[in-house]
Amino acid sequence: MKLNQVLNGYRVVTRPTNADAGKCLWAFAEKGGGEFFIKEFLDPKIPKADSMGTVEDKERRFAECERFAKRHTDIMAALRADDVHAGNLVLAVDFFAVGTRYYKVTPRVRPADAAARDLDTRGQLVLLKTLVDSLVLLHAKGIVHGDLKPENILLTPARKGSLLVAKLIDFDDAYQAGAPPMAEVIGGNPLYGAPEWLRYLRGDQGAHARSLTQAADVFAVGLLIHTYLFGVPPGYGEGHESPAAAVLAGAPLAWDSRLGGRIRRLLESLTAADHRARPVIADVAAALDEPDVLVSAAVSPSPPPVPPPSTPPPGGGARTSRVLVNTTKTAARTSSARLRINLTDKN
Amino acid sequence: MSQNQNRSGDNNLKYAVDIVLCVDTTASMARMLANVKQSAMSFPNRLAQEMAAKGRGISSLRLKVIGFRDYADCAEDAMVVSPFLRVPDDLDSFEKTVNALHAGGGGDEPESALEALALAIGSDWETGLDRRRHVIVMFTDASAHRLGDPRHTSAATYPQSVPGSLEELYAQWGSGQSHSARMENPAKRLLMFAPESYPWTDIADDWNNTIYFPSVAGEGLEEWEMDQIIATIANSL
Repeated sequence: MKLNQVLNGYRVVTRPTNADAGKCLWAFAEKGGGEFFIKEFLDPKIPKADSMGTVEDKERRFAECERFAKRHTDIMAALRADDVHAGNLVLAVDFFAVGTRYYKVTPRVRPADAAARDLDTRGQLVLLKTLVDSLVLLHAKGIVHGDLKPENILLTPARKGSLLVAKLIDFDDAYQAGAPPMAEVIGGNPLYGAPEWLRYLRGDQGAHARSLTQAADVFAVGLLIHTYLFGVPPGYGEGHESPAAAVLAGAPLAWDSRLGGRIRRLLESLTAADHRARPVIADVAAALDEPDVLVSAAVSPSPPPVPPPSTPPPGGGARTSRVLVNTTKTAARTSSARLRINLTDKN
Repeated sequence: MSQNQNRSGDNNLKYAVDIVLCVDTTASMARMLANVKQSAMSFPNRLAQEMAAKGRGISSLRLKVIGFRDYADCAEDAMVVSPFLRVPDDLDSFEKTVNALHAGGGGDEPESALEALALAIGSDWETGLDRRRHVIVMFTDASAHRLGDPRHTSAATYPQSVPGSLEELYAQWGSGQSHSARMENPAKRLLMFAPESYPWTDIADDWNNTIYFPSVAGEGLEEWEMDQIIATIANSL
C-alpha cells in the first residue's frame, strides 16, 4: 500500500504506517466522496502461480487465506452496520484482496479533541452508556471484542446536540466466546487484559480457552470506566505490571478515592478475579441507568463483598444466553433491579 | 506452563525482543549509514520507553548486527556478523559494533544482501518467555546478487549455511503453515528499507509479515522510518 495508490476504488490519501498496529499497515483513503480507514494485513499473503514455495506449500497457504477471509467475513456478517443497535460500532464496509494482500475498510471516524475525564457527569454517563450498549450488542451475538482499550474507543460528537458518544473500533482481535485464537496470536492489551487472558497467554496450568468469554471484555470495561472518570486505570501496586497481574496475585486495585460507593462496587465486581463472578454487560448497562450512579463521594466507605450474580457453567454459554434475553429494555430493567440489590442496598 | 512462571506469584508478562540489523556497508551507503548508526544507538532507550508507555516491559532485549558488502567484489570483508548482544549488559559491545561499521567498497550493484538475510533468519532466536518478537531490519540502497552463484559460493569466506536459491531461503522464512520455517511465524517481522529492485519487491509481495519502505540510493534514513521500526516492535507484542 502506497500513498496515492488506488485499491478497489479506494485512493490512499495518507502515508501508510504501522503506528499502533502490529499486524497491519494502515492509512486513510477516499472513495466516491467518502472518507475511509484502510488496513493492509501483513499475514497471510495469497500465493500467486509464480510465487515462491512448493505446490504443497501454496495449497497450505491458500487454505490459511480462506480461513482468514472467512473469519473476517463471518464477523462482518454477524455485526451488520444496519443493525438498529450498531450505531456506535465502527464496522467494516469492505474486505477484499488485491494481488497477494488482504485489505479491510471502515468509515473514517474523526474523534473529538476531548478527554472523558473533563466532561461533566452527564457527558461521562452518555459516553459510558454508548460504549456499554455497543458491547451489549456484541456480547449478545456471542462475540468478544478482545482488545478493549482507550485507543479502540473513539469519542465523537453525537449526531444531535453537544454530547460525545463512544465509537467502538477494531474488531480484528474479536472471537467467539470460548473459542479464542491460539495463545501465540491472541490480541489484547496488558493494561486492560483480564486475568484469564493473562493466564491463557502465558500458557499457565489450568488456563483454558473456554474461560475466555465476554467476561474478559467486562473486566476491561471496569478499568475503562475508571480511566474515563479519572484519566487513568486504577492503580495496581508495585511489583505488578498490569491490573490483571495484581488481581491474579490477590492484590486489591487502588481505586481513585473520589469514586462513589455504588460505582466503586460495580467496578470491583467487574474486575473480579473469577470471570464467572463478573456481571454480564447487560447488568452494567442497567447499573448505568440508575439515577446518580456516577455521583462522586469524597470518601468511599469500605465496600462489602459483592456476591456474584450467578455462577454459570464454564464456557460462558449461559452468560451469553442471559445477555440475549436481557437486550430488551424490559429485561434490562429486570436485570437492573436485581443488580440494585447488590450495589445500592449496602450503600 | 510457561517457562518463566514465577512460583512466588509474579504474574507479569515476560516479553522477549530479538532484533537483527542487516546493514549494507558499501560505499554508496555512506549517508544512510550515518543515519542508521545514529538511530541504532538511541534504539534501545527509545524502544524501552515506547514499551513502558504501553505497559509492556521488555524482559529480554538482544540486538545483533550484520554488516555486508559483496562477495563478488572482496570476499574477505563481505560479511561481519556479531552475536546477539544483550541490552543493557552488552550495550557497550553493541555500540562498539555499530560504530565499527563504515561505508566502503562493494564495487557496483548488486550486493550480498541475501546472504546477510539468510544469516539473520538462521539466528539463534529466543524461544522462551511469554511473548516474543523477532525482527530483521534490512538497510540497503541496492539490489542483491542471486543466491547460489558459484563465483560467490566458491569463496573461502562464503557462509556454508546460506541456501542455494531464493526459493530455499523463502522456505526458511516460511508461512503460518509451513514445516521448514526457521522462525516462529507469529513472532517474526522483516522490515526492508531497500530500493524497488530484485529481490525486495518480490519478497515484499510474497513473504508474510514483511513491511517494505522503498529507499532511494544516496538518500538517508528518515526519522519517520525509524519510528516505524519502533512501532512494529512495540505494538505487535
